[in-house]
Amino acid sequence: MTTTWRDVARKDFADAVRSKMVWGVVGVFVSFMGLLLLVAGAAFPSDVEVEAEMGLAFVAELAQLFVPLVALIAAYMSVVGERRSGSIRVLLSYPFTRFDVVAGKLVGRAVVIGSALLVGLVVTLGLAVVVYGVPEAGATLGLFASVLLFGLAFTGLGVGISAASATRGKAMAAVIGIYLLFLMFWEPIAAGVYYVLNGTRPGIQVEAWYFLLKRLSPIEAFRALADSIFEISIGSPVLLPVEDTAGATPEQLELANRVAGELPFYLSEWVLVVVLLAWGVVPAALGYLRFRDADLG
Amino acid sequence: MAIIETTGLTKRFGESVLAVDDLDLTVEEGEVFGFLGSNGAGKSTTINMLLDFVRPTDGHAEVLGYDVHRDSEAVRERTGVLPEGFGLYERLTGRRHLEFAVDWKDADDDPDALLDRVGLDPDDADRPVADYSKGMQQRLGLGMALVGDPDLLILDEPSSGLDPHGIRQMRELVREEADRGTTVFFSSHILGQVEAVCDRHRRRPAGSRRRKVAVEVARRRTADRRRVRRRGRRVGLPGGRPAPGLL
Repeated sequence: MTTTWRDVARKDFADAVRSKMVWGVVGVFVSFMGLLLLVAGAAFPSDVEVEAEMGLAFVAELAQLFVPLVALIAAYMSVVGERRSGSIRVLLSYPFTRFDVVAGKLVGRAVVIGSALLVGLVVTLGLAVVVYGVPEAGATLGLFASVLLFGLAFTGLGVGISAASATRGKAMAAVIGIYLLFLMFWEPIAAGVYYVLNGTRPGIQVEAWYFLLKRLSPIEAFRALADSIFEISIGSPVLLPVEDTAGATPEQLELANRVAGELPFYLSEWVLVVVLLAWGVVPAALGYLRFRDADLG
Repeated sequence: MAIIETTGLTKRFGESVLAVDDLDLTVEEGEVFGFLGSNGAGKSTTINMLLDFVRPTDGHAEVLGYDVHRDSEAVRERTGVLPEGFGLYERLTGRRHLEFAVDWKDADDDPDALLDRVGLDPDDADRPVADYSKGMQQRLGLGMALVGDPDLLILDEPSSGLDPHGIRQMRELVREEADRGTTVFFSSHILGQVEAVCDRHRRRPAGSRRRKVAVEVARRRTADRRRVRRRGRRVGLPGGRPAPGLL
């Protein structure tokens, strides 16, 4: 027995890396970033000293929108696409287990998406350097690592959904739902839970668990990670006034000032990394369980 | 030794569709076994159960002495498969497909020799499969099934998409494989094609009257096609009337 998930991953990488769709989305992301960076650079008066890290924070802000898109688009067809085309029956006529298929797909797509994101990051970093100057290495590496981790989280979601779906339509509906859930609805849901339990909307001073609940979303987790890397608050791409924080100063809105006393361990940065890793693995594992028992007729 | 053995194999999809009903089937080592039935008779579902793509509702199946579900990998290590209505990886070349197949079977076949055997032009082999006609894909699929000199070949509607010349080549390939001792199990809805490959065959509707899985058994080494035809006619469905879609 020598065939394993590695063989599936190798095949999947060779196949998916040739997908024009993935590179198209990365191209759009890079062009969009380039445009924004140039516009933003021109918007500052020439006598204002702009820190180079600002450029990276911009990249991180837009990454919240684009990384999930790139990953979900590249991953949602990974398993169900082979089921619909019938190639899954060719693949599974060789001595692979269904675990090999899902694990191989997860790894293969993660490498494809990681490569695409790396290319996108390097190009945007180049643009940012032109406009803002050279940022410090620590922040640059932090951005790269957090974007890749973020990409992995949505790769896991996409592969998991793909493995659990019997038709392309269902997989597509599910990934669109997931994207909107984390982009728009997670914060209202967290605030809603807070309201139900406390009878008030989350204000400036909030119980610590509320932040943990928020940060269970991969987009929130990535944003919190980016915040701590750049030591500034990068904005949410979708601003919904669900928290009762109107008129608060940015300083009041810093995490340390919103939670009474010491920050609990579960609001440490490593928890954000764990959350993103968990999104990369758990949905794929659940999708595998569905796929394992599915008829592939 | 029985290479394929099913007992009471049954598959329902949902409440209403009974795809395979109580199928008892035995294929002996070295046989070329034609599995004949009209469209929708459950041939592909049966094959899919042998390969663990689909799980039976009831009954049991063994291939090469292994339980088809529990030891599915062992079955597939020694079996070459041409699935029905299969897809390939459109962005990859034909040659790449064969290289992967060689890799996955832990074999050392030469992709060029395989291309030659299934009648694919080496120039075509370097084009992505998206450019292939149905017949070329069928040839490539057959080449992938032959990798690793399997003990059992399972071919689901192998002639679909092939022109008469391709069908003739397919028939020769099946004979070559059979002469090397490979057991061949193939399905078709066209009696003539079963006859063309099998030397002797027997058809029986398995299971209930509601669903007919017509089965062709063909044993090699008797090469009289005329006799085949006679027998084929004689063992039509009850009432002496050929099954719909067979002829």
